[in-house]
Amino acid sequence: MKWRQDDVNKYITAKEYIDTALLSLLPFHILKDDEISKQAYQSDVLQIFADELERELSGRTMQIPPYTYLHHTDKQQEVSRLNTWIKEIETQPFKHTFLITFDMGWKKYERQLEGQLIWLPVIQVDHIHDNELKRWMHENVKQVSELIRSYW
Amino acid sequence: MSDKKKQVTRRQFLNYTLTGVGGFMAAGMLISPLRMAIDPVLQPSGDGDFANVGLSVDDITTEPQPVEWEVEQVDAWYKSDVTRKAFVFKNDQDEIVALSPKCTHLGCMVSWEGSESHPDQFYCPCHDGRFTKDGTNVEGTPPLEPLHVYEHKVENGMLFLGKAYPRGEA
Repeated sequence: MKWRQDDVNKYITAKEYIDTALLSLLPFHILKDDEISKQAYQSDVLQIFADELERELSGRTMQIPPYTYLHHTDKQQEVSRLNTWIKEIETQPFKHTFLITFDMGWKKYERQLEGQLIWLPVIQVDHIHDNELKRWMHENVKQVSELIRSYW
Repeated sequence: MSDKKKQVTRRQFLNYTLTGVGGFMAAGMLISPLRMAIDPVLQPSGDGDFANVGLSVDDITTEPQPVEWEVEQVDAWYKSDVTRKAFVFKNDQDEIVALSPKCTHLGCMVSWEGSESHPDQFYCPCHDGRFTKDGTNVEGTPPLEPLHVYEHKVENGMLFLGKAYPRGEA
C-alpha cells in the first residue's frame, strides 16, 4: 500500500493483513556543488527502490512518506526524532517497521533505532535508465523482500 | 418611419436575449456529454495496446515462466513507464495462458511454486494465498477470486500481451 487515498482506504478495511511499515530514510543537503548531483541521484534511486519493493509486497506493507533529514545534522538528534515516527506508526498497529537507506551514518546508531535498519550500498551508474541499475534494482528488491519475509 | 423599422421593442429585446442566453446554457449542457461520448475515439491509444513481451511462441512450455515488459501508463497525474509481469505457459489444450502475478487478495506478487510445501501452485508470500496452475484461487486461503488473465495475441511467432482482466471478462 502506498500513502495515497485509495490505498489508505483499502488499508483501513484490511488492517489485520497489513502489519509492516516501510520507511525510507532520505538525506538531503544542498551546500556543496560537487556533491549534490550524487545526492540527488541517490535520492532518486532510493525512491524507485522503495516503490519497487512496495509493489512486490504491497498486500502486507504500507509505504510511509520518506523520512527526510539534513545530511550533516547530528544523528543522535535524528535518532530520537525518527523513533517518535516509528512509535507513532506502530501505535496503528504495525508489527514491523523497516528503515531503508543508503546513508551509512545510521549504521552506528542501529541499536538505538526502534525499527529494523536495512542499509544498502548504492550502485553508481551514469544514468538512471541504465540497464545495470535495472539489474541491481531487480536483484536487491528480490533479496530485501526475502529478508522482510523472514520476519513474518 | 425608417427610424421606427429599426427600433426593437422591449419585448423583442427580451426575447432575443433570453433565447441567446438560453441557447448558450443548452449548448453548455450538451457539449460535455458529447465530448464524453466520443472521448474513447480521441484518447491516444496506449494503455490498452498489445506489447511485444520478447518471448517467442516456440519457447512457451507447459511450465509457467515469468515475463516482464514495460508500458507507458498514465496514472491520474503522472505518466510513467511501468513494468508489467506475467506468467506464461501452455495449458492442457495447448492454448497459451498469461496470468497476472498480482495476488487478488491485496496485491502482492505471487510466484510459481513459491512454497516448497505446495508444488504446482502459485504462492503469495504475504498471507499464504495459493492458486492452482490455471489461476484458480485455492479455497481456504485469503484470495477470493482467480488470478487475472492477460489478453494475448501472436504475431510473427512472438507473443503480445495487452491488459489483464478478471477471468471470464477478457
